[in-house]
Amino acid sequence: MAFTPRGGARGGGRGGFGGDRGGRGGARGGRGGFGDRGGRGGRGGGRGAPRGGARGGRGGRGGARGGAGGAKGGQKVIVEPHRHAGVFIARGKEDLLVTKNLTPGESVYGEKRISVANNNATENGAPATTTEYRVWNPFRSKLAAGILGGVDDIYMKPGSKVLYLGAASGTSVSHVADIVGPEGTVFAVEFSHRSGRDLINMATHRTNVIPIVEDARHPLKYRMLVGMVDCIFADVAQPDQARIVGLNAHLFLKVGGGVIVSIKANCIDSTAAPEAVFAREVQKLREERIKPKEQLTLEPFERDHAMVCGIYQRAG
Amino acid sequence: MPLFVLTETSAGYALFKAKDKKLLKSDTLAEDVSTAEGVCSALKLKKFMKYDSATTALDEAAAVMDGKVTPMLTKLLDELKDETKASLAVADPKLGNAITKLPGLDLKPVSDSTTLEVFRAVREHMTSLIPSLAPSDIDTMSLGLSHSLSRHKLKFSPDKVDTMIIQAIGLLDDMDKELNTYAMRVKEWYGWHFPELAKILNDNLAYSRVVMTMGQRTNASETDLSTILPEEIESAVKAAAEISMGTEITDEDLDNIRALAEQVVDLTEYRQGLSNYLSTRMHAIAPNLTALVGELVGARLIAHAGSLMNLAKSPGSTIQILGAEKALFRALKTKHDTPKYGLIYHASLIGQATGKNKGKIARMLASRSALGLRVDALSDWGVNNEDKAEPTEEEKSALGRESRLNIERRLRALEGKPLKSTGGNANMTPVAQKWDVKEARKYNPDADGLTGEEPAAKKAKTDDVNGTSKKLVQEVESEDEDETMVDADGADETSESEDESPKKKSDEGLSKAEKKALKKAEKEAKKARKAEREAKRAAKAAKEAEKEAKKAAGEGKKDKKRKHDDDGEKVEKKKKKKSKD
Repeated sequence: MAFTPRGGARGGGRGGFGGDRGGRGGARGGRGGFGDRGGRGGRGGGRGAPRGGARGGRGGRGGARGGAGGAKGGQKVIVEPHRHAGVFIARGKEDLLVTKNLTPGESVYGEKRISVANNNATENGAPATTTEYRVWNPFRSKLAAGILGGVDDIYMKPGSKVLYLGAASGTSVSHVADIVGPEGTVFAVEFSHRSGRDLINMATHRTNVIPIVEDARHPLKYRMLVGMVDCIFADVAQPDQARIVGLNAHLFLKVGGGVIVSIKANCIDSTAAPEAVFAREVQKLREERIKPKEQLTLEPFERDHAMVCGIYQRAG
Repeated sequence: MPLFVLTETSAGYALFKAKDKKLLKSDTLAEDVSTAEGVCSALKLKKFMKYDSATTALDEAAAVMDGKVTPMLTKLLDELKDETKASLAVADPKLGNAITKLPGLDLKPVSDSTTLEVFRAVREHMTSLIPSLAPSDIDTMSLGLSHSLSRHKLKFSPDKVDTMIIQAIGLLDDMDKELNTYAMRVKEWYGWHFPELAKILNDNLAYSRVVMTMGQRTNASETDLSTILPEEIESAVKAAAEISMGTEITDEDLDNIRALAEQVVDLTEYRQGLSNYLSTRMHAIAPNLTALVGELVGARLIAHAGSLMNLAKSPGSTIQILGAEKALFRALKTKHDTPKYGLIYHASLIGQATGKNKGKIARMLASRSALGLRVDALSDWGVNNEDKAEPTEEEKSALGRESRLNIERRLRALEGKPLKSTGGNANMTPVAQKWDVKEARKYNPDADGLTGEEPAAKKAKTDDVNGTSKKLVQEVESEDEDETMVDADGADETSESEDESPKKKSDEGLSKAEKKALKKAEKEAKKARKAEREAKRAAKAAKEAEKEAKKAAGEGKKDKKRKHDDDGEKVEKKKKKKSKD
């Protein structure tokens, strides 16, 4: 993987958060601006715009009825729970994937926030409270893309412990932290120092994230930090990805725990057909005693990416 | 033969004793330890040693990560002093090795797939095994420890030195672009007032300086431009100012143009400093790489790989096509020929080769660079130097320079050129004379922006050459030469090829001497002017000295020109295309 720019795992090809559509246009093939921080293409652009809206809308936080403030500037938004526990859907003009913000009032990477007044507030006689949700952009997060793509099980729910390999700057990690909630833990592993810096910054605000700046190939190096986990999510876009996942699973994954691997065909083998690459990777996962459950493509959010989910079976 | 298990947690070290000595041999190990009860009956906590503070935790964890045994761990293991022939299950084989080296312990470390099973169980049921450890304790300790460890890691990042190079080369490239845009803007803007000036002056820096000192072109006659321009150009400027067809501008307009011109001058100076910084850094960090491919190409390679260590880990073939990934993957996909060179194309050695030889030289240079890089990145100069002193710069770059000579020799053989003669370049003099006229057309990186103006520029320059006084033109050029070393692509190629080919060593010396003479002369002249006219004599003397120096250096210069003209222009154009791939 000599050619992946340093951002650890991610090819740096994803970009353009700013655009509402086809987030892929932006920084494709380029490396995001100054610091070669992987997978972080359109950060600058993405920031300003949404936030302005959010400010305006949230003026009356803590009281206003229908405080559908946030993103749509006062427009009515209804938040419903998603099939996966911990994930929500905001139904407004268009539907958005959201997670409950663990640190209300803060955006991690300039994403939009939506705050909604709680319905049960009057029943208790307590003053109406609001819950804040953060919009989860499927163009920036493979897991969000997978959820929108209809993945059957994400193996993480409130209270879970998740080992996240290839955490990059912690944008997706922050959403996973939202999902597992304060009772759960996310062990976020990222090798690149540049991205690790942002990850640590993010983790200082979320106490359920344990940042680990270490090579995921050497799980023994962080063995004292990580306990047994319920799920491993891997987005490390390395040719030996399956091996990396296997190594970590053998050490840290509970029997019967879930494995979600996002595979970028180009990073494994750029000459072969994507389908062949995926099939080969699934086979490799099988050899690591991970029983594949499903495979889905991440189109239209990512090109030639697949997400493979499986169950770790120690004995078989 | 009792069995012990050593576990490192974020809260401290734990040492367990297996109740069954044959625990690891059991076939049903996985099932036995799968439940909390099972594991508690299989293992008994012998000792749990808690870290007393966050700093201890950090130190211990960092040491264990590197597979080192800390005093605290030694103390814990001293518990096992009385045991003979005991085995100790350790998670990390490296740590196990270190433990065997401890004196006074008779322990056999084991770490294999069966111990993995045990460790999984211990990790899973940590809290039931260690009663004094609450789950929330583990969480807070891991959180604290992970933060401090990561911070520690970032703080003492090994590639912090490379980062400086990466940022510097990035800035250098950005600045070249910016400078060019600004200089173009100055010319465009001031051009409304004095359009003729751009034709006379090609050099961006000189142009901006003239704008700053002269201001309105009506001031031309009474402005002293002698510090900026050579005599005859100054007179040309003054003459053109008299008859200029430019529009009038107000003083307010001029102030703004001047501010921009000032920016150009400042930026140019800063760029110069930056490039010096980069080149010294490169010589210090990667002497062999620098000797082979030059500072700029070397820095770009490092920047592309991410760090010197990353680059040193890549094979020659990768270095050869670094920067041409797009072309490489396209070729791989379509089953065509893969590219022959990437960033390395800009190295002077490859610039000297022609046609097919370029690819060959690129291959040789890349593989040599790979060797040199490993020396640069992995040698322990200055680290283990108790017995011997740190080698000098010369010694450090010995491999690189030698390889370079070899490649040069090979190139000559490939190209069918005569092998280098020691000193007499008799066969080159006629060629040099052939190109004599073009002497002043030496590639000037500062003029890069002037896409539309070439004919005029040429004219202006040839004028200079034919003109009587060469020396001051040379003065400007010699400045340029300093820049070319650090300037991108073409410029660095030519200048390096000049510097580094040993055949030219002698000429080099001359031109250096000449440069020195020039600089001295300049300084003198400046001082003198300030101290009124009398300096004119001194300046004249200096000029004469220069002239002489130049004459002496003349041969050498021609030499350079020959090489440059051989492939200079073509190469530059091609290069730009290639580098986009």
